[in-house]
Amino acid sequence: MAAGSSSSMPPPKPVPAWLNSAAWASKPRSPVRSSYSFKEIGTIQRDKSAPPLAEIGAQEDNHPSSSSGGTVRGGGGGGQQTDALNQARGNGFEASSQQLSRRRIHLAELQRLSSQGIPDSASIRAISWKVLLGYLPKNQDDWATELAKKRAEYLIFRNEMIINPSEVTRRKEQMEAMKAADMEAKEGLLLRHEITHNDHPLSLGSSSVWHQFFQDTELAEQINRDVKRTHPDMDFFCGPTAYAYENQEALKRILFIFAKLNPGIRYVQGMNEVLAPLYYVFKTDKDEDNAAHAEEDAFFCFVELLSDFRDHFCQQLDNSAVGIRSTIAQLNALLRRQDEELWRHLEYTSKVNPQFYAFRWITLLLTQEFSFFDSLRLWDSLLSNPDGPLEILLRVCCAMLLCERSRLLAGDFTTNLKLLQHYPAVDMQHLLRVADGLS
Amino acid sequence: MVLVLALGDLHIPHRATDLPAKFKSMLVPGKIQHILSPGNLCIKEVHDYLKSLCGDVHITRGEYDDDSRYPETKQLTIGAFKLGICHGHQVIPWGDLESLAMLQRQLDVDILITGHTHQFKAYKHEGGVIINPGSATGAYSSITYDINPSFVLMDIDGLRVVVYVYELIDGEVKVDKIDFKKAQGSS
Repeated sequence: MAAGSSSSMPPPKPVPAWLNSAAWASKPRSPVRSSYSFKEIGTIQRDKSAPPLAEIGAQEDNHPSSSSGGTVRGGGGGGQQTDALNQARGNGFEASSQQLSRRRIHLAELQRLSSQGIPDSASIRAISWKVLLGYLPKNQDDWATELAKKRAEYLIFRNEMIINPSEVTRRKEQMEAMKAADMEAKEGLLLRHEITHNDHPLSLGSSSVWHQFFQDTELAEQINRDVKRTHPDMDFFCGPTAYAYENQEALKRILFIFAKLNPGIRYVQGMNEVLAPLYYVFKTDKDEDNAAHAEEDAFFCFVELLSDFRDHFCQQLDNSAVGIRSTIAQLNALLRRQDEELWRHLEYTSKVNPQFYAFRWITLLLTQEFSFFDSLRLWDSLLSNPDGPLEILLRVCCAMLLCERSRLLAGDFTTNLKLLQHYPAVDMQHLLRVADGLS
Repeated sequence: MVLVLALGDLHIPHRATDLPAKFKSMLVPGKIQHILSPGNLCIKEVHDYLKSLCGDVHITRGEYDDDSRYPETKQLTIGAFKLGICHGHQVIPWGDLESLAMLQRQLDVDILITGHTHQFKAYKHEGGVIINPGSATGAYSSITYDINPSFVLMDIDGLRVVVYVYELIDGEVKVDKIDFKKAQGSS
């Protein structure tokens, strides 16, 4: 919520305490310090609710590592920087990297640190996310074997699922040991050969490799369309370079394999948005080896992440107790508990059905509402919640509504809907703090 | 992996009413990239039907075609192969492989699709390959009444072509295939 936004407002209601917090005071940015000074750590008291520490994430997000060449969409409000905060930044980096370098990672501790924002540097985020999602085991010794195993598994999936029928028939022939001489026949009538298993391109049989291929083509088309539209403003995804093309191909493969492995939900539009941040973080990992295997890692982490949310994507479950409607109802109930007046205004006065805005917020895990790097910071918090990401997701959504309280109360159906569907830029730290404060 | 359908000599409506049902059920839109037809469809409705299967249709003129705007011969390039189409009633003796080979050399193509005899034939000579897909409806020809409906689907993949021959024998569709490779470096 930009500090300067003003529309004709009704007489001010009593202002909640968090609205008056010091975080809103904007100061001119001091130049970025290139190295983290560990010496100044002692002055800062590490405390979960302390604002300076919580702002580390915002610092990092406002100065994203340039390895991806991604252009940042305007967003994430003014990053506050004071000298104290610079020290605190060093603090957070040191704490996280210390945690990650331990032989046996203490998950609760990592979760606590991550919820305050993961520093952008030295591939800490990539590793933290992998541990938080359960892809990497807590014991560092097992990492090498675990990674090798999972990556090999992915390669098997890839070879099995992504087939070119011409290749398959060629391989079959080689197995049947057709004489090469046949193909090199100099002259004369060409001999006709029997084909096996009715495997010709027009075959409608379900066992035919060709039939499967044509069915998959439709799925591949759908995925292709969506991947091409993912984050069109970022060079990483949509640039004219071979790098961006390679990234798109990787995304397509991951989604395709996921769809084939999960015939229950297959591919639903929106999965590409959930996958994009994961893949981005892993691919821009400073560690060369990890970045090279970003596709495999992103696949498994995507599966993990989606296992919590897959019911949202299944249309048949829409009205059930686990479907998207019930989650939206949960959000509504939470809002009611927190702010009865706002709830009533939305529900009855302006009649904004929560489905109109909350659907996209929840299914896409808020990737579409904020700038890309803000949503990375947000995902730090989402993934670090020991109760599962859904719980904090709902709290953040509620916080989003509360932060726009005055504008929402002033608006009618059209303005409110417009506001909620094009959520204005906010300071991510502030939003997360509000969310934390909700019961 | 380009799928090219070759079928001709349908003679609809004069000698046959429609493609056999089994063929029709197999020919669905979306799978085939090109259609080459030597000719003798004979009416516009058949042309429209072929267009519905695939946008890229190439037809040459057979002696019974209604539409006189079809060319006598046609050449096109698909992948690494040059293909030519000609109905074949112009080449005398009809169906004579030597004369057709002469035509192929004239057109300078690797694969020549031709028709008129209503008999499937695939012949290789040093200039290339001649494929006659036969009659897709089984219409009688100028030579004989005993015709099995047949057509050809080619899978062009790099330098290799797999020719799938679909023939309706005694009410059942029989599919065979023929492989050949283009010699590397030959024009």
